[in-house]
Amino acid sequence: MPDKPTDLVQGTLDMLVLKTLALEPMHGYGISVRIEQISKGVFRLNAGSLFLAIQRLERDGLIAGEWKPTENKRRAKYYALTSKGRKRLNNETREWGRQAAAIARILEAS
Amino acid sequence: MSLLRNLASGLRSLLRKEQVDQELKEELGAYLEMAAEEKMKQGMSRQEALRVVRLERGSAETTKEIVRAGSWETLVEACWQDLRFGQRMLRKTPGFTTVAVLTLALGIGANAAIFSYIDAWFIKPLPYPQPDRLVIFETQDKKHGWTSGGVTSAADFFDFQKQSTSFEQTVAWGGASLNLTGNGLPELVDGGRVSWNFFDTLGAKPILGRTFTAEDDRSGAPHVAILSQGLWQGRYAGDPQIIGRNIAIGGEAYTVVGVMPGTFQLPLMGIANLWTPLALTDMQRADRGNVWLPAFGRLNPGVTLEQARAETATFFAHLEKEFPKTNTNLTWLVSSMTDRIRREEGGPEVMICFVVVGLVLLIACANVANLMLARATSRMREFAVRGALGATRRRLAGQLLTESLLLFLVGGVASLLFASWGMRWIESQIPGHIRGYIVNYGHIELDFSMLMFTLGITLLCGLVFGFAPAFENSRLDVNHTLKETSGQTSGSKRGARLRRIFVAAEIALAVVVLISATLLVKSFIISVRSSPGYNPANVLVAQLALPKTKYTEDSQFRNFSDEVLSRIRALPGAASTSVASHVPFGGFGQGIEFQVVGKPLQPGERRGAPFTAVSADYFSTMQIGLVKGRFFDSSDAYGTSPSIIISQTMARQVLPGEDPIGKKLRLGEQHSVGMIVGIVNDIKMNYLRERPGWHIYVPLAQFPSRTFGFVVRSSGDPMIMATAIRDAIWAVDRDQPISSVEPLENLIAVVNTGDRVVADLMVFFSVLAMFLGAIGLYGVMAHLVSQRIHEIGIRMALGASPVHVMRMVLSQGLKLALGGVGAGVLAALGATRLLATQLYQVTPTDPLTFVAVPILFAAIAMAACYLPARRATHVDPLVTLRFE
Repeated sequence: MPDKPTDLVQGTLDMLVLKTLALEPMHGYGISVRIEQISKGVFRLNAGSLFLAIQRLERDGLIAGEWKPTENKRRAKYYALTSKGRKRLNNETREWGRQAAAIARILEAS
Repeated sequence: MSLLRNLASGLRSLLRKEQVDQELKEELGAYLEMAAEEKMKQGMSRQEALRVVRLERGSAETTKEIVRAGSWETLVEACWQDLRFGQRMLRKTPGFTTVAVLTLALGIGANAAIFSYIDAWFIKPLPYPQPDRLVIFETQDKKHGWTSGGVTSAADFFDFQKQSTSFEQTVAWGGASLNLTGNGLPELVDGGRVSWNFFDTLGAKPILGRTFTAEDDRSGAPHVAILSQGLWQGRYAGDPQIIGRNIAIGGEAYTVVGVMPGTFQLPLMGIANLWTPLALTDMQRADRGNVWLPAFGRLNPGVTLEQARAETATFFAHLEKEFPKTNTNLTWLVSSMTDRIRREEGGPEVMICFVVVGLVLLIACANVANLMLARATSRMREFAVRGALGATRRRLAGQLLTESLLLFLVGGVASLLFASWGMRWIESQIPGHIRGYIVNYGHIELDFSMLMFTLGITLLCGLVFGFAPAFENSRLDVNHTLKETSGQTSGSKRGARLRRIFVAAEIALAVVVLISATLLVKSFIISVRSSPGYNPANVLVAQLALPKTKYTEDSQFRNFSDEVLSRIRALPGAASTSVASHVPFGGFGQGIEFQVVGKPLQPGERRGAPFTAVSADYFSTMQIGLVKGRFFDSSDAYGTSPSIIISQTMARQVLPGEDPIGKKLRLGEQHSVGMIVGIVNDIKMNYLRERPGWHIYVPLAQFPSRTFGFVVRSSGDPMIMATAIRDAIWAVDRDQPISSVEPLENLIAVVNTGDRVVADLMVFFSVLAMFLGAIGLYGVMAHLVSQRIHEIGIRMALGASPVHVMRMVLSQGLKLALGGVGAGVLAALGATRLLATQLYQVTPTDPLTFVAVPILFAAIAMAACYLPARRATHVDPLVTLRFE
């Protein structure tokens, strides 16, 4: 059994959602499964935080939603990254890398 | 961009709530279904899978709430709910709502009305383009510090105009009463003689024709005139062919070249309906000795007032050297026209009113806050239940605040009614002939800035005074309140203390208002009742000015007045008749320089006093008292050596410790020497609040004048004689315009308008303040009694007599009232000092006022407490106790 799922650091969820959607458009459940898979179960999303993040990103124009049938003949809202969202993801990734590296250096130094 | 999209999306979920909800629900449903399917693949039953998913991911309902709470439109929705709820609460208690709204409407309305005047006079710019570039010139004596009151000498002005670099335009003008003759009865029209660039400098455009040109403004140029819209539409019936038409002014033909719009006015000039070019002769333009010409200018763009002052200072230093005889110590004071006009307005009066209405508003707000606090006590259970059901304190306070804001907003809207009514009332109180001096007169209306002001104070008061009740009432102990079984929950102790503080403060403010108002009204009454130094009752005054074109010789002036006098004297009912060059409150006045013979002045020093030429019996007609010496008589005729009578105060100050009778004065430019033959009592010439001053009287026979005020004392109502007096004048000269025939008492009343309006407003505001204070006290006492009804019942069951109970309640109320009154008196002692300059023969700490007002308040407080106290004595112990 891995460690108990961690709550996501505030603000990183948005970035993870953007990253997930960078590969291909996806519906809400798909996003949460993907995040859990990639993080190897470290992050467990509940529906509230996920849809709050989706609503926020959609209102900021970073992602756009569209109703489509799923492979199981169900209707679901698929979200895709807008060009603005892609730009934001790039920025944030760069920034994150910079900060992570800095923090790592500090931790190594001590 | 993203803010806009956010807004749009929020609005969409507000307006199409159902659809957005539906979508969210569907999306969540799909999400949970998919999660459940995953679980079912691992072998769970559908039901179990759904349960596990709910546990792991959260239920659809909670998720919906979380997502919804994350958006701003939820806040709007909550506010909307609060508003609807508040509106329902207000409707449910119509009595409370009516009282509160009326109180607020009166308080806010009074403020808005007074503000509209403050705005028009002090805030709105003068109604000319770029008014900050307009400045006024006036001669100033650097050594003695006097200023001429807005005038300069013609030569100084034209010399400056020639070489000035700071100014785009410089303008001179003179107020004038112009005699319009021909085409109906002769009429004296207020107007002005103005430099050709007068209108252009003020940026005023004619509605017909043109303004003056430099050609028009030469002496001897063809006569031209510009009419006001009012005169054009009145006397000339809006004649479309008015441009180019000839009219007769002072017996000479003038061609009308333009018509100015009705809104054009220069507050310095007063009402003006007719303008002609100044067109001074070369001799007049070279006159450096007489300081009489009003002047102003427009600064070049980018030139500061300081730079202009530096230029004039240099220029006048140069004039001082060149013309030491006339210009020693003299320079120009250059001041902003805006400041200058505002200084001359009724500034202090308006400000006093504004402060007083501000206090009244505070009282009104405190009253409403108190009402809300009291009402909240009876709503304790409602709040407790809502609290128990999970409403947070913030939510409850928010709702209460919304309710009070709603109440204040309704009051604010209702206040506009009172405000427009008040504005119309004040406007109607301003007499016609002084309207012209009021900046932006006629522009005072319910406009944007006034609406903003009203909204602003409404919201401010609503927030400030709504906050205390909201804060206080939302703090509650659910358990405690719900456990109380009777409806008589006693409310928090702090709430009760807050209400008592509010009431005491209200009473204190009302005391301040009432004391200030009493002082002002008392001063007004004293000034009206005080003797002006003559007896104005039953005196009719006919004023006129002889035209310079027709009357050129001194003997003509004399003949005219002698003939009119003898005709009026022949009228039945004219008990006593005389004439003077100027009459008190007549709106004109003249000063003269003087020097006591044998007492040379310091070099450069000048002394002047108001100056009136009178017929021999003027003092007896006016009933002015002789202090010493004699009145003028037939011996002071034309050609004899001049006699002078001076005022008491002048005698005391100019010739202290000496007998003035027999002393000689050198008067005016002509240096005619006269002997003082009498001293008369001081009289008021211009204001009722005037302090006694210097005055010089000379015989009309020796000092001819072309302005006349005929003074007729009759035995009954003087107005009866008005027509006969006009006819007597027209019998001498049928073309002579008469500027006014009015009872002297009317002239005084008109001048006194400002003080009267203030006094009326003060009476109104102080009654309002007192009334609101009394209501507040009554409300609190009634509430206290109803809260203590149980206790009182027990006391009475234990044998307390009704008298005892009444004394108990009364003393509680009085303690509250006296605390407020005491604080109010202390505050008033500080506040009334600011009124000192407005008071006439009343000290700011007038003992009678400071004793009477608190006693009055104590009596009112007694009355306000009496009703609740009586109710307390009627408490039936059995009923109260059974109520348990």
